[in-house]
Amino acid sequence: MKFIIFAGTPGSGKTSIIKYIIQELKNDFKLYFAKFDCLRTSDDEIISKKYNIPTVKKLAGELCPDHYTALEIPKLIKENQDKDIIILETAGLCLRCSPYIKEGLGINVLDITSGSPERYGPILTDADVVAVSKGDLISQAEREIFRAEILKANSKTKIVETNGLTGEGAIDITEHIKSSSDIGNKKLTLKHSMPSALCGYCYGNKIIDEKEEQKRATMGKELKNLIPGLNCGKCGYRTCNEFIRDVLDKKIKASKCPYLKNK
Amino acid sequence: MSKKIEKITILPGINKFGKKENFEKIDIKKGEVIAIVGHTGAGKSQLLYDIERLAQKDTKSKRKILVNNEIPEKELRFNPKRKLIASLAQSMNFLTDISVKDFLQLHLESRGKKAKPGLIKEVIEEANKITGEAISPEANLLNLSGGQSRALMISDVANISISPIILIDEIENAGIKKEQAIKVLVEEGKIILIVTHDPSLALNTNKRIIIKDGGIVKILNTTLKEKGIAYYLNWIESYSLGIREKIRKGQEIKDIKIYCEPTKFKEKI
Repeated sequence: MKFIIFAGTPGSGKTSIIKYIIQELKNDFKLYFAKFDCLRTSDDEIISKKYNIPTVKKLAGELCPDHYTALEIPKLIKENQDKDIIILETAGLCLRCSPYIKEGLGINVLDITSGSPERYGPILTDADVVAVSKGDLISQAEREIFRAEILKANSKTKIVETNGLTGEGAIDITEHIKSSSDIGNKKLTLKHSMPSALCGYCYGNKIIDEKEEQKRATMGKELKNLIPGLNCGKCGYRTCNEFIRDVLDKKIKASKCPYLKNK
Repeated sequence: MSKKIEKITILPGINKFGKKENFEKIDIKKGEVIAIVGHTGAGKSQLLYDIERLAQKDTKSKRKILVNNEIPEKELRFNPKRKLIASLAQSMNFLTDISVKDFLQLHLESRGKKAKPGLIKEVIEEANKITGEAISPEANLLNLSGGQSRALMISDVANISISPIILIDEIENAGIKKEQAIKVLVEEGKIILIVTHDPSLALNTNKRIIIKDGGIVKILNTTLKEKGIAYYLNWIESYSLGIREKIRKGQEIKDIKIYCEPTKFKEKI
């Protein structure tokens, strides 16, 4: 099985180019498409209908979308053992983060109109392939400058110029996908550690104040130590973290967690 | 660039009905200018795309492109640093907030080239031959007019980009002296393909490729007579531009000369 991750800022054209890639690959490979987003998306349904391949929607909701992606990857793989290629599109919010995995292929869709590549973090610097989008909007010279700047940030990456409207470049990306290695049965590893998220704001604190933040962080950590962290869903929440936030906001009683009930 | 490009060859593919294109091969040599003509939606841009990616029966048209009679190595096709082709698309904007001369310097550096002294000045001078409104080296890139941007880009492609093949999508809408633009590019010994609807431009080339229903249906060598006609059409256009200039200056247009100037016409052919 090959595991392909597309990351890029919102509106960079990830979905547009993925559609052309699915079109190119779907006759020869069993595909699965997972669309991660924050709040809402219907791309998974559109792609499923148009290309007749199985897809899934994963919404991060209250969680950091890239952390959430990493949490969900093992499930995706387990449930799709019969597939040849899993294509995962991240919500793509953070330039610092990137849930690329060493064993798979990481593709950064980079909007050429979004400014200098210099400011991007692992989303670009760890990408195996950089798909430059919207190049048709700017001059040839600027395209060349942009290309040089990408290589300055990530000298090993392969650059493909793409056009989400015409599908230009999709074939080149499918070549990279076909020649990427299978993930096998190994444990997958992130190419880059994600930013830590351990503060009171993670536990739902809304008041901008050092003391309030610390208070909430302590309370959150205490509660976290009491629950098993299984993300079992029995409380009605997808994850323990979301549950803890609402407990601290007094929206739900801690006893809703079946493991806390007896303590 | 390790090898010089002497020519490219287009081998037939299929049209949108799946029928094989009716030609053996099309050779395009260094220094040649080729027009690609046909109705909107006929498949002109597809041909540019096939050439741009040096197609090997792996695009919709199933055409094959050879470079110097050989199948181009993968490196040339997929490594953008070694890309042979520069394209000038119709929409062409600048985004960088920088002066013209610093921008050209930046472009030179991105190509890993040391600037030959005076090159930047040359690029701007040449651009000014193409546009009516002179560009100052100190001007901000973002403030250039459409014609100035395009002229600068053409001069940049001719002088700074190393790409030996240039694809141009409809140069005529740009408010520049197009003959001068083509001349600048040809002088550098490049292969030029232009998608165009402009009669004087289409006839001012070495060959023209006619496209219909996604396939190449005809290849015509431009005759001497056609080149003469192109010159005539050009004269009409520049005459019309002259009138435009007068109108812009607030002058009254009193009469019109609708005959050609035969002496000049003869000189050219």
